[in-house]
Amino acid sequence: MEFVVEEGKKPHDQCSTLLLPALSIGNVGQLAVDLMVSSTRAERIGFFDDPFLLPCVGNDAYGPEPQGQLALPLEAYDSSSNALTLVQQRSPVVKGKIVEFAKNLADFAAATGKKHAVVLSSLDFGRCRNIDLSSGLQTYYLSSTNSDGTDDYCEQLGWKRLQEYNPTQRCWKYLSTLAEGNALQDDNPFEDELEEEDYYPSLPFAALFSCFKAKGLKVTCLLCYCSEGDNIQDAFHLAEAACKLLGLSPNNFHGNEGNGWLIPYSWKSVYGPPPDMSIF
Amino acid sequence: MEDVLTEIPPPSRFFQEDLNSFAPPSPPLPSPFLVFSNPKPNEPLCPSLLIVAISSPSLYVFHQLSSKTLIGSLILPEIPFSGNSIEPSLGDKSCNIYTPSDADDSIIVISVQCSIAAERSNVVAKLLIGEKIIPERVLILDSVQSQSFRGKLSPDETFAFKLETSSERKGLDDSSLLKGINYFPSGSVVDGLAAALLGRCQMRNIKGTLCVSWPEFGGAAVSLVKSLLQRNVLPGLDLSINADGVVSRTKDDSFDSELYT
Repeated sequence: MEFVVEEGKKPHDQCSTLLLPALSIGNVGQLAVDLMVSSTRAERIGFFDDPFLLPCVGNDAYGPEPQGQLALPLEAYDSSSNALTLVQQRSPVVKGKIVEFAKNLADFAAATGKKHAVVLSSLDFGRCRNIDLSSGLQTYYLSSTNSDGTDDYCEQLGWKRLQEYNPTQRCWKYLSTLAEGNALQDDNPFEDELEEEDYYPSLPFAALFSCFKAKGLKVTCLLCYCSEGDNIQDAFHLAEAACKLLGLSPNNFHGNEGNGWLIPYSWKSVYGPPPDMSIF
Repeated sequence: MEDVLTEIPPPSRFFQEDLNSFAPPSPPLPSPFLVFSNPKPNEPLCPSLLIVAISSPSLYVFHQLSSKTLIGSLILPEIPFSGNSIEPSLGDKSCNIYTPSDADDSIIVISVQCSIAAERSNVVAKLLIGEKIIPERVLILDSVQSQSFRGKLSPDETFAFKLETSSERKGLDDSSLLKGINYFPSGSVVDGLAAALLGRCQMRNIKGTLCVSWPEFGGAAVSLVKSLLQRNVLPGLDLSINADGVVSRTKDDSFDSELYT
């Protein structure tokens, strides 16, 4: 993977935290990163040329009035005032290459001196075993701080460690072996016989978690359960959780009205055009 | 009424294998390659302009160009030759490379008459731009993809949008290849080979323009593409065609021009 710095820009050394999405149900991680890029008014500092991403292009997603700046499949933005580098991914990974893609991102993070990677991902509500609606939308997490995935600060914030994380479970162990470069994915012993407990380690966030951890970076995955549909609120939930984790307050994002969040321009058409009223 | 359970989800939603890190990769394919009638095969071609025609209207326009000369072809091992004719034909599954006229080889046109899988697009784009062919400027002609477009698409309307690389945009207004064409609306995307080509141009700091037109087929779209080319790109070239005889077809259809008048 090659990182191409945008002409006239340079990465900021003080951006020691990397915030990125994992592909997940409802595209929630990507929507949350969109919201963070837009609201922090982060500037694009470069883009990635990765052979494992399917190609896509578009017009600037953020505005305020898109002027034709080309949007690419994998881009990096810096918000130096928040010490944050944000990576946005717009297209899927080539089938069977998710772990290699995750390794590429982890290599980038390590090479650019990142200290902490925060991965945003949703989880399929249909797979949730312990539904607790008493406290509203619950945030789950997975951290590299302790070997069991816990982190004291995340616990203090009222979040719950992902119960399905078991580092001794076969697929989590296999993922860890892949991330450390001690196995080839071609030798995957499980591809024909994935079981229920293999579901969570098969998800993209787990690959990112394992690869960042293997590189010695601190990594925190922030997770929330949702269903396919209008996932804007889920995106807000994860973005707010990321801000809490990093000690950021949207109210302090410069120049934004109201609660500090700035809706990306591209969200105006996120669910397609309005219905054709002429049929009525 | 559509069945929400069995209906294919829109492209922003994932299939299970898209989110499965343990899904096996597709079997590897042999690499695509270029063949040229170039008298200097070890030197790259360096056209001032590379035009890649992907949309059916643009393929039709260039197929009608009688002055063009075949100079090479992109070979994709996964695309069979069976059904192709000896002389280049619009119905062939081929990817031929032309110069628009004998007298001027500073422009190269590639007619992409076969569907290229998304997973193959990056490797094809790498082959076409920056290795054996090093263009100063690139123009890609594709159609608006209805599944990735978030605005309204009416079959009665004809329009075109563009996307440009940074180096194309940073020139003065007069230097833009497609003047007067609006930018593709934010929130929609273009994927596939067209995206891979434009992305490659951006990575290599090459002036690149992607023009997507609508509708995908038909005389009106052909006329639009023809007028864009004549006005902005190839003003001196004779692009006389009879757009009234254009019929709707996809790259997967067989085409017999003698059946239609």
